[in-house]
Amino acid sequence: MDSKRRPIHGGISRNPNSTSKPAMAFHFLRALSHIRLTTRRGSSLARRTLRIRRAAYASMACSAGTRRAWSRALLRKLRSPAPRRGASVLPRRAARTTSSPDTDLRQALALRRLVPGGAAMEHCELLEETADYIRCLNAQVWLMQAVVHGLGDLSN
Amino acid sequence: MEKERFFCVSSQSPEAVMPVQINCGAATGQLPQPVLNLGWDQLMHHGVRFDSALGSLVPSSPSSNQLAGSDSVGLRELVGRLGSSGDMSLTSRYQNANSSHYSTLLSSPSKLGMDHQQQSKRSLPMAGQFAAPFSTNPGFVERAARFSCFGARSYDGLRGQFGLPEAGRLSRVSSSQSLKATGGIPVGVPDNGKETASTPEETEFSNGQEASSASDMMPASSAENNARKRKAATKGKGKAAPLSFSTISPPKETEEEIYEAKRCKTSETSEADKFTRTKPNTEQSSDDGQKQGKDNNAKPPEPPKDYIHVRARRGQATDSHSLAERVRREKISERMKLLQDLVPGCNKITGKALMLDEIINYVQSLQRQVEFLSTKLATLNPQLDCNMDSLLRKDMHQEGTLPQQVYPPLDLTSTAFSYAQQDMQTSLNPLDSLRQPPGVQLDSLEGFADANSQLGNFWEDDLQYVVQMGFGKSQGTAFSSQSLCAE
Repeated sequence: MDSKRRPIHGGISRNPNSTSKPAMAFHFLRALSHIRLTTRRGSSLARRTLRIRRAAYASMACSAGTRRAWSRALLRKLRSPAPRRGASVLPRRAARTTSSPDTDLRQALALRRLVPGGAAMEHCELLEETADYIRCLNAQVWLMQAVVHGLGDLSN
Repeated sequence: MEKERFFCVSSQSPEAVMPVQINCGAATGQLPQPVLNLGWDQLMHHGVRFDSALGSLVPSSPSSNQLAGSDSVGLRELVGRLGSSGDMSLTSRYQNANSSHYSTLLSSPSKLGMDHQQQSKRSLPMAGQFAAPFSTNPGFVERAARFSCFGARSYDGLRGQFGLPEAGRLSRVSSSQSLKATGGIPVGVPDNGKETASTPEETEFSNGQEASSASDMMPASSAENNARKRKAATKGKGKAAPLSFSTISPPKETEEEIYEAKRCKTSETSEADKFTRTKPNTEQSSDDGQKQGKDNNAKPPEPPKDYIHVRARRGQATDSHSLAERVRREKISERMKLLQDLVPGCNKITGKALMLDEIINYVQSLQRQVEFLSTKLATLNPQLDCNMDSLLRKDMHQEGTLPQQVYPPLDLTSTAFSYAQQDMQTSLNPLDSLRQPPGVQLDSLEGFADANSQLGNFWEDDLQYVVQMGFGKSQGTAFSSQSLCAE
């Protein structure tokens, strides 16, 4: 799915912080359609769920493009299907930058686990990426709710 | 534990400090500790030189913790005053948002360094009001107020109100400063050159330090305060703080409290006088002495440039590092503010640790929501084929004010709609571009096409549907008709 990876929205982003909802909607709905087309008879709900979730994250990453570290990391993760369990190695520099007490470090660790690509970020960068990630997640959740709602309405 | 060591350095009473912390935690639901942790973090940056002093410190027995929680109200005032004294925005910011955490830390050292006399004057009154019944030992009061009351009281007050970060920071800053001073300071240097009697001052200071052990921050802040003051005033003058550290003798806890009380009480009056008359390098020393009571609650409109100026003036050996650290902390606080806006319900949360907790919870909840919605979609997926088009248009339309961004690769209808709100004429362009496959979307569009091949005639219906849905902007309506014609 190379088309998905390419930053489709044509370069005019007024605000780098704004989430591109049309792009996200396009990606996501296209992926949904694709899933629906390729879903086999015997595919389980869990498998479909996984595919849809993966499509959701892919659409998020595509809408964010490559200008965000988390989207890049997410795209990388989605492209390489090899699940590297426990491969998130916190770089030493990340630990160095924050000589924080244990509580803070625990929280920083937890945040790094949550945000894709967070393991290799400095604390400052981590916070910034988290902000963008939260924005994108919000948009994605909103989009999915709209789709569900729309499907529910249309099916009724 | 760094904190413990730090407290030892400042107040020589790690046990006192730790119990205080524990009390704080118990009292405030663990809030102070994370806040302290934050402060420690920053403070440790300041006090990298503490290590040398740490070894020499002898942990003293825990001081009276009851002092900590005695005057919460008074402490609040103290906090306010500290904020005003250290930095006008400190208190308010701290009380308003957690971001003040960083700003206070940044500003407090500067303020402390700028005019220690002012600080001491302010701290003294603050301490004084807390420890009214305490007797007064003029020299001790002065010193104690400067060192311990300022830090300790502020800490106590803050602790009561989650003011820990601010107080802690202040105290930490002062303590770090004092520790730095300790590094190369001879034992008998009078503090700030104010008090002639070095030994009594030192003892007073040590006593003050010990007395302040009740509040863990006190000695740190006071020491640091002193250190900063000394540095600001005279580069080599006030070495009492470090001196006291090295010479602090453990068995003065009982006296500490008394001294502390004395400090607090006398700080208000005597200290103010002393400070007002003594310090030349503080421009507002005289004013501060008189206006302490008034200004403490108010936020003195000290321009930020003074703060910056003070920082530069200190001329610390690791100034570049500390400046870089300050910049970094400012950046982090900025980001935390951003995050605070993003995460709902975090306006009242102050403190980096709590904020991080909230952020983590929010991200987890969002991810769980995505998971749940994808499950829901999976159950609804069989119905997707007929509804994708309308759904797509519905989504595009429901996005309300679509961003002005041009989005060529969208499929026919969605692209059209996205353009519709911005520019009718460009609506045709995506259609054209779609006809000439941009290479990006053609394959993807095929998915739609396959699904919708039998629904080709459905498009117009969908478009009309969307229009009826309230696409109802004038240009949108016109555009939809245009797109209909185009198709």
